[in-house]
Amino acid sequence: MSIFILAISMYGNWGKFLRVNLSNGEVKVEEYNEELAKKWLGSRGLAIYFLLKEMDPTVDPLSPENKLIITPGPLSGTSAPTGGRYNVITKSPHTGFITMANSGGYFGAELKFAGYDGIIVEGKAEKPVYIYIKDENVEIRDASHLWGKLVSETEEAIRKEIGSKKLRIALIGPAGENLVKFAAVMNDGHRAAGRAGVGAVMGSKNLKAIAVEGSKTVPIADKQKFMLTIREKINKLRNDPVAGGGLPKYGTAVLVNIINENGLYPTRNFQTGVYEHAYEQSGEAMAAKYLIRNQPCYACPIGCGRVNKLPTIGVTEGPEYESTWALGANLGINDLASIIEANHLCDELGLDTISTGGTLATAMELYEKGFIKDEDLGEAPPFRWGNTEVLHYYITKLAKREGFGDKLAEGGYRLAESYGHPEYSMSVKKLELPAYDPRGAEGHGLGYATNNRGGCHIKNYMISPEILGYPYKMDPHDISDDKVKMLIIFQDLSALIDAAGLCLFTTFGLGADDYRDMLNAALGWDFSTEDYLKIGERIWNAERLFNLKAGLDPAKDDTLPKRFLEEPMPEGPNKGYVVRLKEMLPRYYALRGWTEDGKVPPEKAKELGIEEFV
Amino acid sequence: MVKVKVFATLIKLTGRKILEVPAGSVGELLEKLYSTYPGFEEELKRGFMILVNGRNIEHLQGLQTPLREEDIVSIFPPAGGG
Ligand code: SF4
Repeated sequence: MSIFILAISMYGNWGKFLRVNLSNGEVKVEEYNEELAKKWLGSRGLAIYFLLKEMDPTVDPLSPENKLIITPGPLSGTSAPTGGRYNVITKSPHTGFITMANSGGYFGAELKFAGYDGIIVEGKAEKPVYIYIKDENVEIRDASHLWGKLVSETEEAIRKEIGSKKLRIALIGPAGENLVKFAAVMNDGHRAAGRAGVGAVMGSKNLKAIAVEGSKTVPIADKQKFMLTIREKINKLRNDPVAGGGLPKYGTAVLVNIINENGLYPTRNFQTGVYEHAYEQSGEAMAAKYLIRNQPCYACPIGCGRVNKLPTIGVTEGPEYESTWALGANLGINDLASIIEANHLCDELGLDTISTGGTLATAMELYEKGFIKDEDLGEAPPFRWGNTEVLHYYITKLAKREGFGDKLAEGGYRLAESYGHPEYSMSVKKLELPAYDPRGAEGHGLGYATNNRGGCHIKNYMISPEILGYPYKMDPHDISDDKVKMLIIFQDLSALIDAAGLCLFTTFGLGADDYRDMLNAALGWDFSTEDYLKIGERIWNAERLFNLKAGLDPAKDDTLPKRFLEEPMPEGPNKGYVVRLKEMLPRYYALRGWTEDGKVPPEKAKELGIEEFV
Repeated sequence: MVKVKVFATLIKLTGRKILEVPAGSVGELLEKLYSTYPGFEEELKRGFMILVNGRNIEHLQGLQTPLREEDIVSIFPPAGGG
């Protein structure tokens, strides 16, 4: 009997990471024990542990010393709803801090089928390569002929070369090769691990792609219990009016009208929160004009992805809410067809759409204010609000770092700084902000200021309680301790969901107890909800420690652009509001158990069992 | 007359995105919409977001929120994203 029990040492996770050193071509399989999984769960959790353990956080992010960790979670590749997610974790060249970019599609699940919980990529290949994984067989192959190719061309070429239909590929486009600060890692065509330059790190290693196919089944501790639990959770999601209604019907862009009517839809580089043409670029308009079907990721009962068809480019996927806004209202652009085309182009070049749009918006405001001059641009299109010519021209140029595109490739903050006006970059820790003006949701603003990867919404989605009413409605202008506590729960819970390998959209319909049920049944553990949230808290604190070691100065870096702190919202329901960050931040530090100056003290680290990293 | 903006699945039911309805409170407005447009009530059964001049009625006076001429009411069935 005991022999059989010994045959599988862990459930959910394989207990195995692949370590690939591109400098010397060495490939190793490394095992870790269940104790480590119990502490970090997997994916985003194990990755920050490995980085803190093995890497000096002060390394140059684009040097061979930086490590790139690509990792699905314990529920990835199982039948848990949305169990196809993976994270790309590394030190960001855009922010200089940690980044954990998350993506759906099918790649993450396939990596699990091959028998790995992740890949740690180290060093730098001498010439372009790609990694091909088929279960135990791992090869580093020449990719010289793929360098310079678009995402779809590269996928097609690799598929032809290997000749397998099962193949799932994560890869970079020309933007990653050219070390554009906000290049993405793409997979399954249009899915992106987008934020903070993970694609540039991959490009700096001369790694074009990772192609994987696997034949294994992820081991589950209690199969029957797991199936019953999964069925119950899927039903919950199907019956939820958002996860089972609004999201599949209109996609994430159903938010365009909601956020605009609530007066926080950032328009023309966040100059206002009300866009007069919002309806024309909403999920409703997209469904009426271009949508042909929706597209779920692996094992997803929600299916928020959009498949659109345009006469110009044919069938494409996306855009999501964020991309619609970034390439639309934030640039004063209302033409939905141009937005869909620009989104397609970003996917093909391997660019994060939020930062692409945010950078162009900064350029437009610098042009409006007279800092960027016509003579700087020569024959190139002027950065005028609403000028759709800007999209195709500059997106292509920046991905190739040609002409003015070379300046844009550095991101909005560095661009604005080069003109002596960094205040026109709507970014936190240099990462361009997403589609919510924090003057209309102050808790969300505190989230931007304290997020470990900088200006990101998804790791602390306070829009849920402040605007949408999930799990219950909170006043967007309430800045009490309750609000701060809710933010902390959202941050820790998001870290947990990422570490589990699930999609954050499951929070429309599922609560912390539901994740506990699925994880316990799959992993064979008997953890309480609090135990799991503790893992989320541990991850958040460990990432904070990484950032502090990397040089984070809380007084300078945990902040928001001046616009949100000093310029009251000019119109709409939030007219007159700024973000009262100064009143919230000290309480955030205190409620996190941190020092007054935002550091993780030894007692807190000890409580979380991460004192070795202080 | 109160200006009412409807969204998502509600547009199909009303046939228009913007309506003008006389009503003294949000509750009264809803009753009128329910009786005029078949299916409207059903669509909001599992929740809704109602804004008066962009402010959620949860932070005003709920269904009792008074309405004046020129007020703009936005009505959404349950929806979210990210
Ligand atoms: S909800 Fe959307 S993004 Fe999340 S897994 Fe499903 S289809 Fe993918």
